[in-house]
Amino acid sequence: MKNTTAQFVSIVSKIKMQHIQIAVMVMVALMLALGAGAPTDGGGIGH
Amino acid sequence: MILGVAVFAGLLLGLLLDRLGRRIWQPPVFRHSWLVAIFFLPQFLAFYLPATRGLFSAQLVAASLVLSQFGLLAFCLFNWRLTGIPVLTVGLFLNLIVILANGGMMPVSPETVSRLVSSETMARLEIGERLGTTKSILLTEEMMVFPWLADRFVPPDWIPYRFAFSVGDVFIGLGAFVLLAFPTRKEFAIKKGNPSYDNQPDIQAANNGGKRRC
Repeated sequence: MKNTTAQFVSIVSKIKMQHIQIAVMVMVALMLALGAGAPTDGGGIGH
Repeated sequence: MILGVAVFAGLLLGLLLDRLGRRIWQPPVFRHSWLVAIFFLPQFLAFYLPATRGLFSAQLVAASLVLSQFGLLAFCLFNWRLTGIPVLTVGLFLNLIVILANGGMMPVSPETVSRLVSSETMARLEIGERLGTTKSILLTEEMMVFPWLADRFVPPDWIPYRFAFSVGDVFIGLGAFVLLAFPTRKEFAIKKGNPSYDNQPDIQAANNGGKRRC
């Protein structure tokens, strides 16, 4: 349990603010592209 | 999915150029990014979330798509100066025009759909109906308004992932790719090691997160 907690703390401490900013920015860009586009996905037809 | 590929391909290229020392990659700073989260939500519920997308009527799907795209258009106008956004906005505008003109959904012709699905699936489809859980409606070319803006292009047969896309989608994919591949503003583009870098305290400050070195 202590090891798991220590590992978790170690991983979290390596996450920098810049990583969070990049993740948020990528999410925004992804939502923007998916929302703006309207390709017809062959896999979605017939469902 | 194909637009998601454009986003991640742009991100990978941007990070790769940064790693190779060609330019400094900085994530684009969006203004009013909450607009995207709010206005993508109707589409997420209507098209992407399996638990809810079957609950939407055709009218509600069309309203969700149009409302969502108007909100995203507003976001693009707020962020017009970011690299790639003008190109993406053109694509969004073209898609929105053809969607509005055809009752709130993206038209696609039976000829195009026949290149995406099997003949058995094709036989079950009816003209004027929404195609499964997609944003598209099956219309003949004669029934479409602005047919040249509809989903009419299909990738080559050797690509196993089958989809149809519009001119607007091409602009959106290109804009999203450029947005993430080359997000750095010009003043950040001079990197350490360049002879002119030492004479540019403002660029140094920008590269150091806005803090000037004294």
